[in-house]
Amino acid sequence: MSLYTLEGVSKFFQRGATTIRALDGAELEIGPGEFVALEGPSGSGKTTLLQLLGALDRPSSGRVLFEGSDLATMSDGALAELRLRSFGFVFQQFNLIPTLTAVENVEAKLAPVSGSGPELRTRALALLEEVDLVDRADHLPAHLSGGEQQRVAIARALSVEPRVVLADEPTGNLDSATGADVVELLANLAAEHGATVIVATHDAELAGRAPRRLAMRDGRLLTTAAV
Amino acid sequence: MRYLRNELLRRRARTLVTLLGLGVGVALVIVLASLSKGLDRAQRKTLDPLAGIGTDLTVTLQPQQSQGGFGFGGGGGNRDLIAANQSVLTDLSKLGKPGQHFSHDFFLPGSQLTFQQSASGQIAKLANVAQVTTGLTLLAEHQQGIVPKIVAKLKTGGQTFRFARNIPRPTAAQFQKMQACFDKLRAQNGGSRNGGQNGGGFFGGGGPGRGAFAKCLPASLRRLRTQFTTPQQTLQQVLNPPQTNIQTTAYTIGGVDQTHADMGVVTKAQVTKGRFLSPAGGREALISTAYAAKQKLKVGSSLQLNGRTFRIVGLVEPPLGGQSADVYLPLKQLQSLAGERNLANVVLVRATGSSKVSAVESEIEKALPGASVASSKQVASKISGSLVDASKLSHDLGLLLSILAAAAAFLLAALLAVSSVGKRVRELGTLKALGWTQRMVVRQVAGESLVQGVLGGLFGVALGVLVAVLIGAFGPTLTASAATGGGISLGGLTSVTTRTATNSVSLSAPVGIAAVAIGFGLALLGGLIAGGAGALRAARLRPADALRQVE
Repeated sequence: MSLYTLEGVSKFFQRGATTIRALDGAELEIGPGEFVALEGPSGSGKTTLLQLLGALDRPSSGRVLFEGSDLATMSDGALAELRLRSFGFVFQQFNLIPTLTAVENVEAKLAPVSGSGPELRTRALALLEEVDLVDRADHLPAHLSGGEQQRVAIARALSVEPRVVLADEPTGNLDSATGADVVELLANLAAEHGATVIVATHDAELAGRAPRRLAMRDGRLLTTAAV
Repeated sequence: MRYLRNELLRRRARTLVTLLGLGVGVALVIVLASLSKGLDRAQRKTLDPLAGIGTDLTVTLQPQQSQGGFGFGGGGGNRDLIAANQSVLTDLSKLGKPGQHFSHDFFLPGSQLTFQQSASGQIAKLANVAQVTTGLTLLAEHQQGIVPKIVAKLKTGGQTFRFARNIPRPTAAQFQKMQACFDKLRAQNGGSRNGGQNGGGFFGGGGPGRGAFAKCLPASLRRLRTQFTTPQQTLQQVLNPPQTNIQTTAYTIGGVDQTHADMGVVTKAQVTKGRFLSPAGGREALISTAYAAKQKLKVGSSLQLNGRTFRIVGLVEPPLGGQSADVYLPLKQLQSLAGERNLANVVLVRATGSSKVSAVESEIEKALPGASVASSKQVASKISGSLVDASKLSHDLGLLLSILAAAAAFLLAALLAVSSVGKRVRELGTLKALGWTQRMVVRQVAGESLVQGVLGGLFGVALGVLVAVLIGAFGPTLTASAATGGGISLGGLTSVTTRTATNSVSLSAPVGIAAVAIGFGLALLGGLIAGGAGALRAARLRPADALRQVE
C-alpha cells in the first residue's frame, strides 16, 4: 500500500486579482521507506507540495491521501497529531526556536508526546548525541553554526521516530561540505529509523543521492517514476 | 513552562515595555484612588465645618433690607449695620487728646448683628432640638499710635484796612460845574455865595449841608478816604486724611460658652495643643494654630486686650465657616470686653437626629423670620480654595482618569501581545509544524501575557505605593478659605466687616487595600485581555502561511 497517494492535487493562491497556481494537477504515489528528491528551480512548487504532504496546508482541489486517509477531511487536531507523531520537518532556515537551547528545541518536539521533565531531557540528549552535538546542548541557536543548527533540526525531526521526514532545501543555507555532511546524516538516520524521506532541493548533487528524483516546473510534476 | 520563562527572559526589551506599560497604568489607578481618598478625608475634615463643633445648624441675624418682622427684635438695613459697627468710626476721638499715644482693640460684629443671648431660648423650645448654645464672633481691630487731630480750627478776620488817596486837582470844567451846582443849591436855599442869612457859611445852619455839597462834587472827589475792618470768624475743617500714624491689625475673636466643651464656636475636639478653656471662665484664651504661628504665640503666652491680660491655655484648629476665629475667650469675658453684655450673634443648634435637621431648619425659619439659618452644607458651599477645586476635580475626573489609565494600560499590553505574536509568526508556525495543537500554541501565548500581567501588577502596586508615599511626604499644601462677616456692602465699611479665614491641609494619598487589590486585578485582567488578543492572532495562523513569512 502506498504511503502517499495524490490525485489531481492543485493549490492556488490569490494575490489581488491574480491567481497563482503553485501546484497544478499533481498525481503521485510514494511508498514507505522511499528516499524521494523533488527537483526544480525556485517557484516550481516543491515547497507547496512538501507542505501538502506534511499536512501543513490543505489543497485547493484534489486529494492527498496518507495511508488511505484524505488529509483535507481531517480536523486541525487530527492533522496536528499527524505532524506530531508521523512527520518530521527539516527547514531551509532551520526554524529553531531562538529563545530555547539546542536540547530545549529538541524537547519542544517531544513535550507533547512524553511530558515528564527528566525523561524529555534524557531522550533529547540522546538524539543530540546521534547528531554529534551533545556538547553543544546548552547553546542557543545564535551561538551555533549553520551546520550545527541544521543538525539540531534533524535531531528534532527524528525525535519521535516519524514515519516521514520532509526536508525543504535542507542544505540551502549551508556550504557544500557541510551540506554534504547533512545530507549524509539525513540519509543514514532515515535508513536506520526506517523513515520515508522526501527532500525538496534545487541542488542536483543532493538530488543525485536520492534513488527517486521527481522534477517539477511551474507547479507541475514532470516525472513520477523512479530514475 | 521553560519556553514561557525563556521567552520572557530572553526578549527582555519587549517584556520590560509591557511590564512598564501595565505597571504605570496600575500605579496611576492606585495613585488616583489614593489621592481621591486623601482629598475625601481632607474634605470631610475641612468642608464639613459644623460636624466638628457638635452642631447641625447655625442661626445668625443678618442686616435686612425690609423693615419689621424680626424675631430677635431689631431694626433693619444699612442703619443696623452702621449702628452695630460705629465704634470704629467715632471712638478714636475718645481715646485721648489729639497727639497722645494710645493702644486699643475695637470689636465689631460685622454683618452678623448681635441680639439678646436669651433669644436662644426660643429655639431651644422647638421640636426636635436636642441642644442649643450661643456664641459671639466679632471682628477685631487692634489700633495703636497717636490720637489723630481730626478737626482743625482756623481763626480769620479782624484785620483793619485804611485806604487814603491823593486826590487830583479838579479840572477847569469840573470846577465850573461844581460852581454852577453850588450856586443852584444856594439859590434853592436862599443863601449867598459868601454865607447864608444866618451866617455859618455854606455848611452852616440854613446852608445846603454836607450832603448837598457832596452831590456837587465829581465822582473822582467823592471817595477820598475810607477804612474797613474784616469780620472775625473761626473756621473748622475736617482733615482728610487725619494727621496720625495709627497702625492697625485686624483679627477675629470668638466668645465660647466654656461650659459646653463639645458644642460651640470651637470645641475641645479642635484643641491641638494645651487644653480647652476651664469651666470657671477666667482670663484664659485659645488661639488658632495659624494665628499663633503668625503672631509667634504659644501655650503660656499672654494676650493684652484693652488693659486686660489673658493667658493662652491652648491652640486650636477651628473648622472653616462663618464662626471661625483667631482668638477665643470665655463668652462673658468677650461680652464684657466688647461692651456687648448679654449679647450674642450666633446660636448653635443640634437636632435630635440627622434626619431631623431639615425639619428643625424649617421650624427656626418659621419661628424667627429675621434669622439666617445655615446647615453644614450651606456653610461648606461658601468655602473656596485649592482644596475645594482639587476635590471637585477628583470627583468629576478622578473616576474617568482611572478608567482611561486602565484602558490605556490594557490597550498597550494587548498591542504589545499582538505585536509579539506578529513577530513570532514563523516561530509559532514551526511549533505547529512540530505537532503543537492550536490549544497549546494559544496557551503558550496567553500564559506569557498572564505572567506579564502578574509581574506588571506587582510592579505597578510597588510604584503606586511609592508615589503615594512620596505625595504624602512632599505633596503640595491645599488651602480652603471662607469669608467671615461680610453681607451688605456699605462703601468702606465692607473692608472692615469682612475677613477671610484660610485653612491649609497637606495633601495625602493613603493607600487602601481596596485600591491595591483593584490595581492588581486590573493588571491581571490586562494580561488576560492581552493574552486573549495575542492568542486569537496566533490561533488563526496556518502553519504553511506562517512558515512563508519572512522574519
